[in-house]
Amino acid sequence: MLRMTLAVLRKDMTLTLLRSSGLVQTLLLGLLLVFVFSLSQGVGENLNARNAAAVFWLSSAFCQVLIFNQLYALEETNDSRLGLLLCPAPIQAVWLGKAIAGLVLLLLAQCVFLPATVVFLGQSLNGPLRPALAILLLTDTGMCALGSLLGALAQGQTTRESLLSIVLFPLLAPLLLAGTGIGAQVFGSADPDGPGAWLGLAAAFDAIFLAAGLLLFAFLYTGDE
Amino acid sequence: MPKYPLLPLLLLLSGCLSLACCQYLIYFYAPAEETMGLVQKIFYIHLPLAWWALFSFFLVFLGSVAYLLKRAPVADRLCAAAAETGVLLSGLALLTGMLWARKSWGVWWTWDPRLTTTLVMWFVYAGYLVLRGLNLSAQRKGLVCAVLGVVAFLDVPLVFVSARIWRSIHPAVLGAQGGGLEPEMKLTVAACVVAFGFFWAGLVWLRKGQLDLRARMHANAETSP
Repeated sequence: MLRMTLAVLRKDMTLTLLRSSGLVQTLLLGLLLVFVFSLSQGVGENLNARNAAAVFWLSSAFCQVLIFNQLYALEETNDSRLGLLLCPAPIQAVWLGKAIAGLVLLLLAQCVFLPATVVFLGQSLNGPLRPALAILLLTDTGMCALGSLLGALAQGQTTRESLLSIVLFPLLAPLLLAGTGIGAQVFGSADPDGPGAWLGLAAAFDAIFLAAGLLLFAFLYTGDE
Repeated sequence: MPKYPLLPLLLLLSGCLSLACCQYLIYFYAPAEETMGLVQKIFYIHLPLAWWALFSFFLVFLGSVAYLLKRAPVADRLCAAAAETGVLLSGLALLTGMLWARKSWGVWWTWDPRLTTTLVMWFVYAGYLVLRGLNLSAQRKGLVCAVLGVVAFLDVPLVFVSARIWRSIHPAVLGAQGGGLEPEMKLTVAACVVAFGFFWAGLVWLRKGQLDLRARMHANAETSP
C-alpha cells in the first residue's frame, strides 16, 4: 500500500507542479480573498487578530477545494481512473496518496497566504509559535483527509467546485474554528484558556476523519460514471 | 394497485390531535415563566423540533450504514425521507430559536453551541439534499449520499464541542441539576415531545412511501416497451 501511495503522490505532484496552471489558480484565489478582505479596513486601521486569522483559514479552505478538484480531475481524462482501480493494491492508497499530495500543495499555498495576511491585514507574529505550527499541521491534515475523501464524491460532475464547497465547508467548521482560535493568539490576541482545547479538538477531528477516509473511500472511488 | 398507506396517515393524524391537546397543556396547565412571560411558550415547540430533527439525522446515519452494508434501495429512500424531514424541522427549530433569542437575549442570533450546531447541521444536510438532486445513476447516488450521511453525523459532536469551546450562553433547561423547569413545565414538554414524535414518524413514513412509489413507477417505466 505504501508503494502505491508514494506512486500516486509522485504522479499527482509532478502533474500538478509541471503544468502551467498548476497551483497558480489556487494561489491567486487565496490572495484575492486576502486582498478583498483588506478593503474592509479604514485608513490607518488594522483588521483585528481573530478576523485576520479567519481570513487566512478561509483562503486556505477555498484553496483546498480547488486543489482536490484538480487532483481528482487528473484521472478524468483517458479513463485513467480505471487504471488506478485495476492496480493490485488497496484502493485506500489512492485516497492517502491524494491526501498527502493535497497536504503538500496546501502547505505550499499557505507559505504565500501567511505573509500576505501579515502584510495586507497589518498583523504581526508575536504569539506562541509552537502551538501555531502544531495547529497548522493538524488542521491541514484534517482538511486534506476529508478533502481527499469528498473530492472523490464530486468526480465526473460539471459543477464539482460548487458542489464540493457546499458539502465540505460546513463539515470543516470545527477545524476552521480551531485554526482561527489559535491563529488569533499567534497574531497577538490574548486567550486565557490557551491553545490546549483547540489542539485536542483538531487532533480528534483528524483521528475520526482519517479513520472514516480509510473505511469509506472504497465506496466512493469506483468505476461508475 | 398498491395499498393506500394507512398507518403513516394514522400516525400523522394522531400526531396532529395530540399536538392540539398539547396546546391546552402549554397555555393553561404549564405556568407562565416569570421573566419571559408568554414568549417562553415557544420552548414547547422549539425543543421537540430540535430533538426530532437530530433524531432524523441519526436515522440518516443508520440508514446510510445499512445502505453501505446491504446496498438495499429501501435504506436509501429512508435516508432521503429522514433528511428532508430533518432539514425542515431543524429550519423551524432555528426560526423558533431566533424568536426566543430576541426576547431572552435581545438579539435575533447568537453563536451559542447548540444554535451553531443546529445551523451547521442544517447546512450539511441541505448540501446532502443538493447531492440527492444531482443527475446520477441510482446506485452511484445512493453510495455517495450514504458516505456523506455517515461523515455528516460523525461531524455533529465535533461541531458541538468546538462551538462550546468558542462560547456558550444557552440555558441548560434539562441539565444535571434539574434545570429551571417546574414539574408542570416538564410534563408539558414531555407531552409535546411525544406528540411531535407521532407527527414526525408519520411524516417520515409518508414521505418514504411517496419515494417508494416513485421508484416503482420508474422501474415500471424502464421495463415497459
